[in-house]
This record gives sequence, structure tokens and C-alpha cells, in this order.
Amino acid sequence: MSWLFGGSKKNDSNTSASAEHQQIVQDEGKAQHALGFDPSQVTNVSSIISTPGALDPSRLHPLAGLERGVEYLDLEEEQLSTMEGSRSLIPSRGWTDDLCYGTGAVYLLGLGLGGSYGFFEGLKNIPPNSPGKLQLNTVLNHITRRGPFIGNNAGVLTLTYNLINSSIDALRGKHDAANSVVAGALTGAIFKSSKGLKPMAYASGMVAAAAATWSGAKSFIL
Amino acid sequence: MSADHSRDPCPVVILSDFGGAFAMGVIGGCVWHGIKGFRNSPMGERHLGAVSAIKARAPVVGGNFGVWGGLFSTFDCAVKAVRKREDPWNAIIAGLFTGGSLAIRGGWRHTRNSAIMCGCLLGVMEGVGLMFQRYAAWQAKPMAPPLPEPQQAQPLGA
Repeated sequence: MSWLFGGSKKNDSNTSASAEHQQIVQDEGKAQHALGFDPSQVTNVSSIISTPGALDPSRLHPLAGLERGVEYLDLEEEQLSTMEGSRSLIPSRGWTDDLCYGTGAVYLLGLGLGGSYGFFEGLKNIPPNSPGKLQLNTVLNHITRRGPFIGNNAGVLTLTYNLINSSIDALRGKHDAANSVVAGALTGAIFKSSKGLKPMAYASGMVAAAAATWSGAKSFIL
Repeated sequence: MSADHSRDPCPVVILSDFGGAFAMGVIGGCVWHGIKGFRNSPMGERHLGAVSAIKARAPVVGGNFGVWGGLFSTFDCAVKAVRKREDPWNAIIAGLFTGGSLAIRGGWRHTRNSAIMCGCLLGVMEGVGLMFQRYAAWQAKPMAPPLPEPQQAQPLGA
């Protein structure tokens, strides 16, 4: 505790000369601790440079804060979202990132799934004994009929889901599975809102189940 | 020119561009086809017409936008990876490839014309962007501080 209350008790017993000497040694030790080298040893520039520890970046100047290593610029718009529970598979900076990445991923997934379904459907429906160009065209037609249809619908669903989800997140100030399920239910209801109550309920349940599955999978992966 | 910090690094930005372009297309398509369906319906069925037009057409517009944006982003990343530099030519080359690959089922002439059209469009866009950048740099150019007022000559001994 000598650093707090002053370590003068031991010095009392010493003679004044030795106390003085000790004081000088202590000062030198302090200076060496602060500067990284012993200032009494320094005579010219070359001896500063050659002194071990003189150019240690962590001791150059305390205000420079160099001992923390390289610090990258913290740009305001690069800040990750700090909302509770908002961590997802890809780092997100806010609702626009969630929207773009979510919609893009699900749209591509739907496009790919629908496209491969159309591919096999087209392979089955190739007219017999047809030339190669017609065969290619048949397959391509089936791909471009199925792929964009499923992709567009999945994309619109995800777009609505993400908009509602981010709104609920912003209102509640946090994100959890309940938000996802509610957003999914609302999305399904809106998606089938022009078909009557029963399809609305079915779609609502299905999208809510999908959202719950996604939330569960996310918590399992993370 | 410093690096663009508002965009993510290359492989993942394709997903973001797909989603962003799709969202832009769907929302724009809702407005466009909502108004179109509203105006083209008979009196008394205008709201129904708007809703059915949105339902039928807005996802398709979104899909077209999304495929265009995603393909463009993919080609942009590919061109960047091959050329190992970032300049307006990247966007123009990516536009050529995008326009060409979207029109590839229409035959060679259609593909070529579409590619050139798309490349020119991207070239104009990049040119306008460069112009704005130059203008902003000119506006924010460093100014020399005003010179201090010259001291009045004092007669000696005054």
C-alpha cells in the first residue's frame, strides 16, 4: 500500500545520505520506467537509437496510445447493429442490411430451387425425336417459367417479412423468436389478403412456422 | 480515390445487390402498377383494379430488377477480380456482359445490340457520377486563408 499512503516508513531508519541516494535511484528508476531507457546513459542521438527499448512504440508517448496496436478508423456508417438479439449469420448494420441480404438470399434460393425443378420438368417433357435446339429451348422454357415464379413469390414474402420484422424490432427495441413468428404470421396474412379468411389463416400459419424454424436454426447455428 | 466504405466486400455484396434491386423493383412496381391499374379500371372498380395489377405485375418488375442488379454485381465482381483495379471501366464492362447475357436467347444480333446499349447506359451513368465527384471536389477544394491586413507604414520615430 506504499504507493497509496507514501512509503516513507522504511526511509525513516536510514541516514539522510542514503535516503538521498535512494531517492535518486528511485527517480532514475521512474524515469527508466516512463521512458523505456535510462536517461543518464544517453549522450547523443546514436546512443538513443541503439539503446534497447528506446524506440519501443508502446513507450514513445502515452498520449499516442500506440500500445493498443493498429487501430482502424471507426466510421459512423460502418457500425454494426447494437440491438439486443439482432446478431445473424452475416454481420448487419441495421434494417437495410437485413432487408437486402435476407431478400437477396431467399430470392436466389427460390430462383435456384424453382429453376432446378423446371430443369427436371423440362427434361421429362422433351418432345421425342426433336432436334437439339428444340430440346434446349424446351428445358430453358421450363426453367424460366418455374424459377422466376417461385423466386418472385419467395422474394416478395421475404421483403414483407423483413419490413415487418424490422418495424417490430424497432418498436420493441430488441429481437427474439417471438418477433419473427409474429412478423411471419402478419406476412402470410397480407400475402393472401385478397383470397379470403381461410387462405389467409393457412398462409399465416405456414409463414409463421417457417419463421419459427428459421429462428430455431439460427439459434442452433450461432 | 479512396476505397468505397459504403459497400461490402465482393463476394457477399452480390446477395445484397440482388436483394436491394429486388426490393427497389417491387416497391417501385407497386407504385407504378398501382397507378396504372387504378387509371385503367372502370369507375367503381378502381381500387380492385389497382390491387390486382399490383399483385400480378409488381413481383415481376421486382424479379426483373433483381436479376439485372444481381447479374451486374456478379459481373462487376468478376471483372474486378480479373482486372485487379477499380475504375469506371469495370461498370461499363459489367454492363456489357449483363445486357448481353440477359438478351442471349434473342439471337446474336439482339445480344450484341442489347450489350452495347447496356454498356452505353452504364458509361453515361459512370460519366455523370464522375462529373458529380469532380464538382464536389471542386466545391470543397482547400482555400488559402485570407492574407492579414497590411500594416500601415509608420513614419520613423513616430
